[in-house]
Amino acid sequence: MSSGTLARRRAGGRHKKRRGRPAGLWADAWHDLRRRPMFVASVILIGVLLLMAAWPSLFTSIDPFDARTCELRLARQTPTPGHPFGRDNQGCDLFARTVYGARNSIVIGMLTTLATAVIGGLLGLLAAFHSRWADAVLSRVTEIFFAIPAILGALLIASTFRDSEVDSILLVVFALTILGWPMAFRIMRAAVITAMSQDFVTAARALGAGPWRIMTRHLLPNALAPVIVISTINLGGFIAAEAALSFLGVGVRSPDISWGLMIAEARDRFQYAPLPLVFPALFLSVTVLAFIMLGDAVRDALDPKLR
Amino acid sequence: MGRYAIRRLLQAVPVLLGSTLLIFLIVFALPGDPIVSLGGDRRPSPSVVEVLTEQYHLDEPLLVQYWHYIGGVLFRADLGSTYQGVPVADLLASTFQVTLRLTLMALAIEAVVGVGLGVWAALRRGKAVDTMILAATLVLVSVPTLVTGFVLQLVLGVKLKQWTGLDVFPVSGVGDGLRGYILPAFVLAGLSIAYLARLARTSLAEVLRADYIRTAVAKGMPRGRVITRHALRNALIPVVTYLGADVGTLMGGAVITEGIFNLPGLGNLLFRGVYERQQPVVVGVVTLLVLVYIVCNLIVDMLYAVLDPRIRYE
Amino acid sequence: MRVTKGAWLVAGTALLALTVAACGSGAPAGGGEGGDTPVRMEIGEPKNQLVPGLTTEAEGAEVLGALFEPLVKYTKDRQAEPNVAESVASDDNKTWTIKLNQGWTWHDGEPLTAQNYVDAWNWAAYKPNAASAAHFFQMVEGFEDVNPSEEGAQPAAKTMKGLEAVDDLTIRVRLTRPNSQFRLMLGYTAFYPLPAKAFDSNGKITQKYMQQPIGMGLFKMDKPYRKGTDQVIDLSVYEGFKGDKPKNWKQLEFRIYSGQSAAETAYNDLQAENIDVHDSIPSSQLISAQTALGDRYHDDPTSLISYIGFPITANPAFAKPEVRKAISMAIDRKTIAEQVFSGARSPADDFISPAVDGYRPGACTEACSYDPAKAKELYAQAGGPPRIDLGYNADGGHKEWMEAVANNLRANLGIQVQLKPEEKFGVILTALEKHEYKGAFRIAWLYDYPSMENYLTPMFGKAAAKGGSNYSGWTNDQFDELINKGNEARTPAQAIKFYQQADDLLLKDMPYVPVFFHRINWGHSTRIRNVELNMLDQVVWAKVEKADAA
Repeated sequence: MSSGTLARRRAGGRHKKRRGRPAGLWADAWHDLRRRPMFVASVILIGVLLLMAAWPSLFTSIDPFDARTCELRLARQTPTPGHPFGRDNQGCDLFARTVYGARNSIVIGMLTTLATAVIGGLLGLLAAFHSRWADAVLSRVTEIFFAIPAILGALLIASTFRDSEVDSILLVVFALTILGWPMAFRIMRAAVITAMSQDFVTAARALGAGPWRIMTRHLLPNALAPVIVISTINLGGFIAAEAALSFLGVGVRSPDISWGLMIAEARDRFQYAPLPLVFPALFLSVTVLAFIMLGDAVRDALDPKLR
Repeated sequence: MGRYAIRRLLQAVPVLLGSTLLIFLIVFALPGDPIVSLGGDRRPSPSVVEVLTEQYHLDEPLLVQYWHYIGGVLFRADLGSTYQGVPVADLLASTFQVTLRLTLMALAIEAVVGVGLGVWAALRRGKAVDTMILAATLVLVSVPTLVTGFVLQLVLGVKLKQWTGLDVFPVSGVGDGLRGYILPAFVLAGLSIAYLARLARTSLAEVLRADYIRTAVAKGMPRGRVITRHALRNALIPVVTYLGADVGTLMGGAVITEGIFNLPGLGNLLFRGVYERQQPVVVGVVTLLVLVYIVCNLIVDMLYAVLDPRIRYE
Repeated sequence: MRVTKGAWLVAGTALLALTVAACGSGAPAGGGEGGDTPVRMEIGEPKNQLVPGLTTEAEGAEVLGALFEPLVKYTKDRQAEPNVAESVASDDNKTWTIKLNQGWTWHDGEPLTAQNYVDAWNWAAYKPNAASAAHFFQMVEGFEDVNPSEEGAQPAAKTMKGLEAVDDLTIRVRLTRPNSQFRLMLGYTAFYPLPAKAFDSNGKITQKYMQQPIGMGLFKMDKPYRKGTDQVIDLSVYEGFKGDKPKNWKQLEFRIYSGQSAAETAYNDLQAENIDVHDSIPSSQLISAQTALGDRYHDDPTSLISYIGFPITANPAFAKPEVRKAISMAIDRKTIAEQVFSGARSPADDFISPAVDGYRPGACTEACSYDPAKAKELYAQAGGPPRIDLGYNADGGHKEWMEAVANNLRANLGIQVQLKPEEKFGVILTALEKHEYKGAFRIAWLYDYPSMENYLTPMFGKAAAKGGSNYSGWTNDQFDELINKGNEARTPAQAIKFYQQADDLLLKDMPYVPVFFHRINWGHSTRIRNVELNMLDQVVWAKVEKADAA
């Protein structure tokens, strides 16, 4: 929610009313979003990052997976022509690694966020809306998962399945999702409970709206915003959690590259060789920033109370 | 409400049993023999492995092992011992104190700093202060705990003492009383400060747009009174939920922080327990964390009712 | 103005949290406030309770080394010199007579007797006690009676018949076969004695003793140490100690660092002068340590060697010696030693460490030198596998150099290398034992006593292939015969000749690839001086002086 003031939003609202178009929630949101500079900036940033994740070779001609490009005796070399970020602790080109690292970090962050939001959100909605019984059971189950410390739980899960030939990226997503969904669950459940006691829901019920309609038309739009806010912040958290897992030795595994892995690898020597840590950390921060800005903008646009 | 609390506590029993079984299963499934791991780089002799494997029932099927464990807990109040013969109950008692202190200090920091920043930002929406606070939370979120921990330890723990001679923040350990907890608590709270500030800001900003606030302002109530009497009260509901839920998260999330600052807490114990395949330790710690979590959750849910008169439990 | 409930709650939580946190904090754990601040040393957490027979690793041994005094001490030229023992003698290297010096006492004032040694050694050897040091007594007559190697077999006796306290000050040990190295072993932790008080009526060591062992060394333990809980072990000088004592200080404190980044944390504490001795400065901090500590930074040779091991019997892809040699020649040891370890390790050129007699510089010349072209050719000729796994344990700071080795192999042999970090070395060991481990792996070896034989027998002997530390599964009858000849040799010099011949067989076949000789990197604070390490890499406390005598 890093954008505009109340006044400007009201203006936006008036603008829509003047058009008098009976557009749906999402169409309205899209209309609203296009005008927000923060949204545009974050979309451009994310676009570049996604491009980098999809076709890293557009950005660098060095293939970091070719061990012959590494020169251990030049380890920690500061930037030189051809190596704009210098070299890392293994003497590999830091720029190429940072660019190629985007893919795994972003994939892990996005997949985990999506999975936790969907699983947690749906279950949360179900728990709050369906019945006391479902709520009690689901809440107990969340408690089990919530209470298990995320990093340690992920450590346990990741090390249990590590010997299977599962891709290390998917394993990280799997472990983080199992332990991350209760957060979305709780937020969704709390938001739905709050929304349910509000007058427009009571009114809709009184008017004879069915449970499906109440859920999709009234509760979900109202409860979605906090889940989106938490999810965007969590996205950064998941990328950082991936770093923690890599640090503990069960995250992304070499020769795969991720920013988390790079940070973990550079951490011990950052006192005298800061660049190998600074660049991946910077990219990571920018990514997180972009997603949070996007989430904020979407949230503002989706918030039906503004209309 | 009393009956509600009792019912919730009864519901906690299957949660506790479920989580012990779950953790037991996971630890059981971990690759590597715990007794062979005892020796580090060296392999213990076969006779050592044989005797200890038998002593700790490690050669028996999973459910029998679980029965040995849970039977010991239920009938003899015995939480088992490590493979070096140290009772788990003793370990839990001392490490819990450390983690509790760390968690509570972190909670205090995030409640004051996080909520304070969030409220401030919400009241100054769109102004420079708001933007700066938002930017600060972004920095907090985007720098991993690993990095903050090491940087703060180096700068405030080592360099500050080297430069000024002042021994303000101990580098590690709990030998210096409460002072040793300040830095790790701050590192631990870092992420939550950002979450809380954003949550408080969002929540308060939303409430400030509500009709009843507009009504209160319209009827001529002073702004300060509107904010404290009407807005904060409602805006803080999600904040309190978050704080309550965060106790458990903080306690469990202390692994890396406790590791960096060498605090002998639950996280450290659990981490070593996992690495050493010490089933009774891992199960004991996790059960304790689940218990803490359940109690916190119950309190949070009761607070809902206190804060929001529309919610009633019977 | 009335404050609302919500605000009260948040403020209240904060306040409550702070008060509880404040109330809960106990007194500072540091010992000896006022005047005599202790000398503080970093250690990792002892792996087991503080009992000699249970301790076969460096951290626990460091503490026990302060609490106990060995029968023999190692001189700079790696000879065993009588210490608590007045003499250790044998005519045939088979029956050994150990005479104790008079007047040594336990920390509770009781006299030290020969029986104390016999009891301790019998306890360690007895199978149900599951002591990790039991194997040290394997060569004593009657070991098989107290510790039958067969699985499930119960011991027939509680004491070894080869062990006898002839009188209060004389121990007689009969070995099953002559062993010239026995005198050298006596300086090791496993051979410390135990007082009668340590045992309960069933011959078990009491929990109380395990928490607060009574020793006969320079320091006594001031209060119990609860393993897994306490972060400090507080010791003070035992006034009745017969040997040298430190000049101007009396309190010693071991500070335990555990967890993922223990060595880094401890190094920060050393920089801030919160500890006085740190003997495991991580290699990543050496560049900083050399300048920050100046002449307080030390770098000593140690007996530790790193190898790359191969499961030769379990994976036929590694069966040909040429494959292993090619891998060896593809590793750029020198550059890795310089860039990753800042010179704290040196390229290995023998299977045994320069820290023992019998090491020959350059014993492994061709196969241990970096020659990418030849390596590639040899590897292709021998038909080495196109993809290998490379295992290591993630808890030991091995990632960086394993990564470098993997890059070497990828670039120089043109093969795929997958690194396989495991949390504990035990995971790799378990898999190796079941012959399920197919990849190459890192392994390191540190001697227990300064002898060549302590590298050769445990890692490559035939007996060690079944339930021992011979993980490659490489065996050679001629090799075992040469070791036996060495053990039975009359003089150490003769023994070394045989051991070197055995070493030559290893160099020919390369069951492991020697990679680095380690050095121990340690430093101390400005508060103390005259710090040195003995041959077991333990601090010689009696020589340490406090810098400010105030």
